[in-house]
Amino acid sequence: MVVGDVTTAVDVLVLGAGPGGYVAAIRAAQLGRVVTIVEQGAPGGTCLNRGCIPLKALLTSSERYYQTRSSELATMGIATEAVSFDWATMQAWKQGVVDRLSEGVRRLIVGNRAEYVHGTGWFINDREVRVEGEHGSLRFKFEHCVIATGADAAPIAHLPYDGKDILTPEQALQLSELPEILSFFGNDYIALELATLFARLGVKVKLYVPGEQLLPGVEPAALRLVQAGLRKLGVQVSMKASIEQIHERPIVVSNGVVPRTAGLHLNDAGIKLSENGGIAVNSMQQSNIPHIYAVGDCTGGPAFATIAIKQGKVAAESLSGQRVQFAPLVTPYVVHTTPELATVGYTAEEATRAGYKVVSGRFPLAANGRALTLGTDAGVALVVASADDGILLGATLVGPRAGDIIGQVTLAIEMGATLTDLAEILYPHPGLSEALQESVENTLGRAIHVLAMK
Amino acid sequence: MYEFKLADLGEGMHEAEIVEWLIKVGDTPKLDQTIARVETDKAIVELPAPVSGKVSEIRVKDGETAKVGDVLVIFETTTLAKENGKANNAPATTVPASTAATNGQSPKSQTQSRPRVLAAPAVRRLAFELGVELEHVTPSANGRITLEDVKTFAERAKSAPEPVQFAPASVSPTISAPVQSAPPAQDERQPLTGLRKRIAEHMERSWRTIPHATAFGDADGGALIAMREALKPVAQQRSVRLTYMPILIKLLIPVLKEFPIFNASLDEERREIIYKRSYHIGVATDSPEGLLVPVLRDADRLTILEIAGKLEHLIEGARKRTLSLPELSGSTFTLNNVGSFGGGSGTPIINHPEVAILAVGRLQEKAIVQNGAIVARPIMPLALSFDHRLIDGAMAGRFLARFSELIENPQQLMLDMR
Repeated sequence: MVVGDVTTAVDVLVLGAGPGGYVAAIRAAQLGRVVTIVEQGAPGGTCLNRGCIPLKALLTSSERYYQTRSSELATMGIATEAVSFDWATMQAWKQGVVDRLSEGVRRLIVGNRAEYVHGTGWFINDREVRVEGEHGSLRFKFEHCVIATGADAAPIAHLPYDGKDILTPEQALQLSELPEILSFFGNDYIALELATLFARLGVKVKLYVPGEQLLPGVEPAALRLVQAGLRKLGVQVSMKASIEQIHERPIVVSNGVVPRTAGLHLNDAGIKLSENGGIAVNSMQQSNIPHIYAVGDCTGGPAFATIAIKQGKVAAESLSGQRVQFAPLVTPYVVHTTPELATVGYTAEEATRAGYKVVSGRFPLAANGRALTLGTDAGVALVVASADDGILLGATLVGPRAGDIIGQVTLAIEMGATLTDLAEILYPHPGLSEALQESVENTLGRAIHVLAMK
Repeated sequence: MYEFKLADLGEGMHEAEIVEWLIKVGDTPKLDQTIARVETDKAIVELPAPVSGKVSEIRVKDGETAKVGDVLVIFETTTLAKENGKANNAPATTVPASTAATNGQSPKSQTQSRPRVLAAPAVRRLAFELGVELEHVTPSANGRITLEDVKTFAERAKSAPEPVQFAPASVSPTISAPVQSAPPAQDERQPLTGLRKRIAEHMERSWRTIPHATAFGDADGGALIAMREALKPVAQQRSVRLTYMPILIKLLIPVLKEFPIFNASLDEERREIIYKRSYHIGVATDSPEGLLVPVLRDADRLTILEIAGKLEHLIEGARKRTLSLPELSGSTFTLNNVGSFGGGSGTPIINHPEVAILAVGRLQEKAIVQNGAIVARPIMPLALSFDHRLIDGAMAGRFLARFSELIENPQQLMLDMR
């Protein structure tokens, strides 16, 4: 009981200003709701401040540096002398990007007339939340609540993260000094991207992969190219690793995330968790308490910002009375290694297991004009479709900008496009998306720039 | 260490029986190698290995049943497949089934496999908004459902005619608003799925293999009614709702014992009649999705009150679809109370691989001739369908006659009571 406790009534209370939270807040405001958003850090959450954005920024800067050191520029007639980089400046640039985006989010929140409260919130009951921050203690009574508190790096038994010897990916991105040797444990896009980034900057990188495969479930033909890329960077890859048996330090561990729900006092609101430890929600993002929603990583689903973003919109629309659901057919998955890899939908094997009769096609990037003009030939476009009706089921792209071109495939799959639909249209030439087109045509047995072997 | 759990099997099934393991402890199957065959309510599915690794422990043995979520087998391997999101624990099915979009770990979660509804994202959004199930909408354009298709479907669903209500004769009948003329009819296609599909398959098999003949009979229900009336209050004191079914089941047992051919099964391959020594009575029950036959096991060893109690549980379970596989299989003879929904008699279809099925209809006052005079008596129609390969008309007639005799003289049960 706090003396002088005043309860503020709010329409929509959003807990967390990451991609799930701030998007839910803005969408709700667009729909005419009055929104209060609570965040203990800077706007943008993990993705913007500590995860996706810093990682992609450093991948860019490290790539630029690496390109100047490689022989590629020389073959193009460009001579460079003693190119160096300053890590502190690079980190500052990265932070600049982060700050700019974070400020942008803050402006959007304010511009949508949502109230931004700095602090940490937790439930008192199923209608009230207490928030504590530098301002003191506040009490909110809400009509609707959207929980978007995200997730934390999953702990490993007996190996606590200390930011020095054993690091989470976030801690790796915040290193103030580059180590000479850095080990990584993991098999997901985070482990591979971090390994790539540090290797490009000249750090001796070892990648320990649990299990038999980098990126489990991804098409083997595509993985080979990514693995070759890592080898080219000098990354030492070991498979079937077990974290307890690796004694190299420092080591960065990407072992998944656990939903951040512990401090929310969910029991006091009667909010149920699902088996994976996240807040249980239906397809309209409602928890078992109908006026309380949850979106993004805190629901225990796949930890991707694109999912949090869409779920934030669904929650906002849902609580505003619309009948909407989160039900995408597919989720695109991108890995920013060199070469870049992007995949969406089924692999050939998954489609077969799901009961389809499958046809597939491939097209090597070495036969794509745009790739060669970009100075690279490492890549492939793989396409999977249903034999019966030619409906596109999935694709895996390896090569420059794969992560951007995959958007085209995502749309095609969601629209139910067939191989013929994709083969009929025009593609910019010379263009990387032509590799997708030719992979489709290869499936149909008529790719022009590949000698038919079918 | 990787614990492989039985994944959600879909279609409301939450248990599976391990038919056989294709691996043993110490084997090292590769990822996706078929490691076991499991049966879920008459469909056999193959389970692929979720990881490559050495089998360290098999928790559920051949012939045992596992619930969804139970650990089936443990592999020695570390894998972050789950975290990365690609490990799909769903068993590969022999028949393509729809896999629901899950909030699971895979970043590549798909909704249905086959048959897949082709509808653009905007169309799916509208369908959800209007509460339209896309599976029920006929696509107009090239196999694709358009926005128009969804809107038309939704409108037709709203203007569907209300059922006409007739009140009892003492009150003037009320008739609902006249049926609005619907827009030109469009045939609707609905795929057979789930329980309906299984019922269809079962009926097809039964009708195709067994030459059915049906014997009809009538029993005077007077004594039965009197017995029930007398026993009802006592049953109530013991918190049991006593309907006719428990008494009929109890009366059925001695008849099955006297006519063992009716509690048998034909082994079609070996052409041998298997006389069952257990008496597991299937009780045909209506569920929201269709006909289910929960099984009252060892009915000969149960008292009437015990049967009544178990029956309540089985019927409730059938309605809620919470019955387990043993509760839904293994019957040796089936009883179908068509009277419970006002039916008279009909030609019931035998519950393969049994040899007969008895339908009891509604007790109704009928005019019959007794000693030259017309009297009103409560008559219970009986219809016994039987496998004409094993049972002749005469035998069926005698069975019905004996059963009627017991219904009309239920006190005969006391002669064999221990």
